[in-house]
Amino acid sequence: QFRGRRSGTATNAPGENNLNYANPAEYTIGGIEVTGLNVLDKNAMVSLTGLKVGDKIKIPGDAISSAIRSLWKHGLVGDVTIKVDRIEGQTVFLNITLSERPRLTGFYFTGISKSQESGLKDDLKLIRGKIVTETMIRNTETGVKKYFIKKGFLNTAVKITQQRDTLNRDGIKLKIAVNPKSKVKINHISFVGNEAMSDAVLKKKLKKTHERPRFALHRTILNSVVNLKPKEFIDSSYKVSPKQLKEFFSQNVKLNIFAGSKFIKTDYEEDKKKLLAYYNTKGYRDAEIVSDSIYSHSENTINIDFVISEGPKYYFRNIIWTGNYIYTDKQLSAVLGINKGDVFNRELIDKKLQFNPKGLDISGLYMDDGYLFFQIHPVEVAVAGDSIDIEMRINEGEQATINEVTITGNQRTSDHVIRRELSTVPGQKFRRSDIIRTQQRLGQLGYFAPDKIGQNLVPNPAKGTVDIEWQVEEQSNDQVELSGGWGGYYGFVGTLGLTFNNFSLRNIPHLKNWKPLPVGDGQRLSLRMQANGRSFQSYSFSFTEPWLGGRKPHSLSVSYVRSLSRYAGAGATSYNDLNSGIKADNISVGLGRMLEWPDNYFTLTNSLSYAVYSLKNINYGLGCTTCKSYAVTFNTTISRNSIDNQMYPSSGSSVSLSLTLTPPYSAFNGLDYTTATAEQKNKWQEYHKWMFDAKYYLPLDSKKKLVLEAKAHFGFLGAYNKEKTGIGPFERFVLGGSGLAGGFNSFVLGKEIIGLRGYQDNQITPPTYAVGNSTSQQGGVVYEKLGLELRYPVTTGNAATIYGLVFTEAGNNWGTYENFNPFSMYKSAGFGARIFMPAFGLIGLNWAYGFDPVPLGSRGPVSGSQFHFTIGQQIR
Amino acid sequence: CSKFRRIEKSADWRVKYDAALNYYNNKKDYYKASVLFEQIIPIVRGLPEGEKVQFYLAYCQFYDKLYLLASEQFKTFYETYGRSSMAEEARYMYAYSLYESSPNANLDQSSSKDAMAAMQLFLNRYPQSSFRDKAIEVIVATQEKLEKKGFENAYQYYRMRSYKAAIVALTNFKDNFPDSKYLERTYYLVISSEYRLAEQSIYSKQLDRYKGVVDHYKEFVDRFPTSTYLSDAEKMYGDSLAKINKSKNNNL
Repeated sequence: QFRGRRSGTATNAPGENNLNYANPAEYTIGGIEVTGLNVLDKNAMVSLTGLKVGDKIKIPGDAISSAIRSLWKHGLVGDVTIKVDRIEGQTVFLNITLSERPRLTGFYFTGISKSQESGLKDDLKLIRGKIVTETMIRNTETGVKKYFIKKGFLNTAVKITQQRDTLNRDGIKLKIAVNPKSKVKINHISFVGNEAMSDAVLKKKLKKTHERPRFALHRTILNSVVNLKPKEFIDSSYKVSPKQLKEFFSQNVKLNIFAGSKFIKTDYEEDKKKLLAYYNTKGYRDAEIVSDSIYSHSENTINIDFVISEGPKYYFRNIIWTGNYIYTDKQLSAVLGINKGDVFNRELIDKKLQFNPKGLDISGLYMDDGYLFFQIHPVEVAVAGDSIDIEMRINEGEQATINEVTITGNQRTSDHVIRRELSTVPGQKFRRSDIIRTQQRLGQLGYFAPDKIGQNLVPNPAKGTVDIEWQVEEQSNDQVELSGGWGGYYGFVGTLGLTFNNFSLRNIPHLKNWKPLPVGDGQRLSLRMQANGRSFQSYSFSFTEPWLGGRKPHSLSVSYVRSLSRYAGAGATSYNDLNSGIKADNISVGLGRMLEWPDNYFTLTNSLSYAVYSLKNINYGLGCTTCKSYAVTFNTTISRNSIDNQMYPSSGSSVSLSLTLTPPYSAFNGLDYTTATAEQKNKWQEYHKWMFDAKYYLPLDSKKKLVLEAKAHFGFLGAYNKEKTGIGPFERFVLGGSGLAGGFNSFVLGKEIIGLRGYQDNQITPPTYAVGNSTSQQGGVVYEKLGLELRYPVTTGNAATIYGLVFTEAGNNWGTYENFNPFSMYKSAGFGARIFMPAFGLIGLNWAYGFDPVPLGSRGPVSGSQFHFTIGQQIR
Repeated sequence: CSKFRRIEKSADWRVKYDAALNYYNNKKDYYKASVLFEQIIPIVRGLPEGEKVQFYLAYCQFYDKLYLLASEQFKTFYETYGRSSMAEEARYMYAYSLYESSPNANLDQSSSKDAMAAMQLFLNRYPQSSFRDKAIEVIVATQEKLEKKGFENAYQYYRMRSYKAAIVALTNFKDNFPDSKYLERTYYLVISSEYRLAEQSIYSKQLDRYKGVVDHYKEFVDRFPTSTYLSDAEKMYGDSLAKINKSKNNNL
């Protein structure tokens, strides 16, 4: 407070020092004195006031009061008084009198357990070294109480005592004595006045306020037996209605021991609202809780009695639309879907007008068309008896055009990567469906937390435009794969894989922008290494730029794979003498683009690859054991993908047709194939290969959870000139097992591996091989695979997607086209589960039973009960 | 138990204070200094050391490149010790830390905008400050960054051949940055977008759009008579005029 020194005015001449609230005068501060300090520093205190010697201030005026306020704000002092010490002409000397407050040096609890203590400490935010104030003590007290009330201790008593700290001068310790007393539980809830709804139904609507579990049936029965009134129960003279039976049980039994019966005031208030909301949805528009009394039943239990007035049940009569020019009454009524005579339900109207999670709503209808300034007010215009007329007052407004589109929150991902995904484009009419679509697409990028993607719409009714700000929050979606496994013949196999989904080549030279890697351009870089020492190694590298040139989604991908397997072959001196092996290097460049015709689900990919296979002391059906074979291939794939969700597809289909060609060397190399050696014939691989894959997803329930996947796959391998070259040993089809190219059982190089659960990895090969080349080669030239899979998800959240499945499938391959018989197939059935987690990718485990024996006895049993482990999405 | 640990556990805040100053001034270990400063800040508030600790803590975080945190600490400093002789520097450093914390132009620029506003406030408050030139430099640099972002965002629509969107976005850019160095190019791109849009349009809308080319070209010529884009723009202008005349003749 401000105190002008009355005594001063008395001693000085009246005209010289008249501090008058009606007539403030300006003075220069000539000096500031601080008294009452003990620990605190004078200059620090003066600087906190914001006053300074030499300042011109008005007395009385703001400066003084704000000085007092800022001293208080820091909570360092208890009482502040600023006095005018003396006035010399236009100069004023101030005196600040403070009383310091003690600091908190420690606090401790009594009466509660260690675990409660640590929970409390987090809640209370008592910081040692702070000044002890009344507020601090009060806050602590209410904090402790709240903590216990939340846990059901309604009668908690807290007493805080301040104690001088003997060790620290000016220190205070707080002793917080807590007596939680016992938990208060709800014994019984009763209702009066409810006729349309039974007690049990109403109790169920109290979501968080429950009675305590009890089982009193025995007591009631015992009572009636003891009191010799068995008639009440075994009296066949009157019929017990099911309702009465229910009532009886609800009186005597409450078995759900998992629902807590604590009484928590805030939950209780919420529950009362829910109770009324429930009545409202059933047409009881006037329902109210006349009274609810809570009284103690025993020391630590309470009873709750509700008195309810239900009022009449109302129905809809006429719904009148006004102000609608774009849509007719009929169209709007169809969307609203409420008919004359339906039970009145205000909530239903709001849902159908503003946001209907299950389908169309009226605002959606308008918003989708760009009527962003659309408004609708349902008004009850007439209530006649139990019927209500509603008038829907509509203001359609103007169609909004998108003006500016901005992006915020992208700390890692460049603007252009996000902007190219946006369906909300400047100059376009605003449509809500574009917003939803954009939200989905941004979510699918995986760079942002899907539930944090938001948009801020700033409509400008004067110009008829809307600005859209997209708000995103970055998340990491790089994948690390680090695994080790026991792989049959090869023993231990370790895998290290890294996938960066938001890489930036451009940022590599700018070390400053690494976070912690060069990120932000939406490129994909993947590195993978798999090895078990000397006998098997595989290295792969791939890079994809999804928008080459930034103009259209034309992707460029470059990849390089080197794999080699070595083993002890013919002439090996020991098991460890790895004198045989095959090494394959493959480099390929691909270009992909989305097509706009026939529809925008189509994509076309073209790629060019060059592969070298180096054989050492191995009979691969080439006619030579140590030689090299080369392949230049061109692949074109056209595919259509309309699957709704990559992780858990529930509807849509994907179809793909791929053709791989090598140049027809035999037509122009002038080699005489009748006399040429096998090595010469196989130096340049020559084939054409056709692959067809189709998958279809059919949701079987309305929530699209139970999903049936149907799939069909075919592949054909052919030669340009059968007379000259025949079909070589490369790229042949091998079926069986999990379908992993680097599966743990065998690392087959230069083959097309196709999974077939229920059979051992890569064991389904034609029993008789192609004529012409060699008898030891494996793999068919035609294959076929069909499958049905029924899936049900455990969770499809952001953190993980997990689903279980049962399946049946069948497939086979044939060594020659003459033998091709699409009805002779190896069949199997089984079940399994898939787990997807963002950092690890998709992992699957299946058990399957193969029904058909494989006619190659020497290979041992390859069908029957089999376990399969898979990594990543299976294509086939 | 390392030396630092021992200091950290010390009950006497003076030990921590002296050690922190030592880490700050002599060893330049700003991380350790900031840990200690943070621990003693509630205790020294109101003591003569309080001001210094708050100021040094802010600088520790600044040198540790925790610019967002540093900006908050500098803000706390000048709000608490508004009359301190270091308040001016703190206000400047608050804005400068925000500026330092803002990433490249193609990322979120919220802190750039904050930095610019803070620097402007700083200049208004201390027009004679010794940091004046640096502050102006920061404002200009931030303005350029925002300009670059604005232009690139608008230009992306042109690149993606969404000419309708490009016209809206480029026009917005002209309004938002009326003295930008990209302005000449923006004017040209508007003409070009309009022209290409006209070419793709259905007949009924073509005429309007060719007229748009003509109007925008006139504006462009008046404003940038020596532009390097002039010859290209002129060609589109001539072409559009011809198309307009032809349609007039057809209608006659």
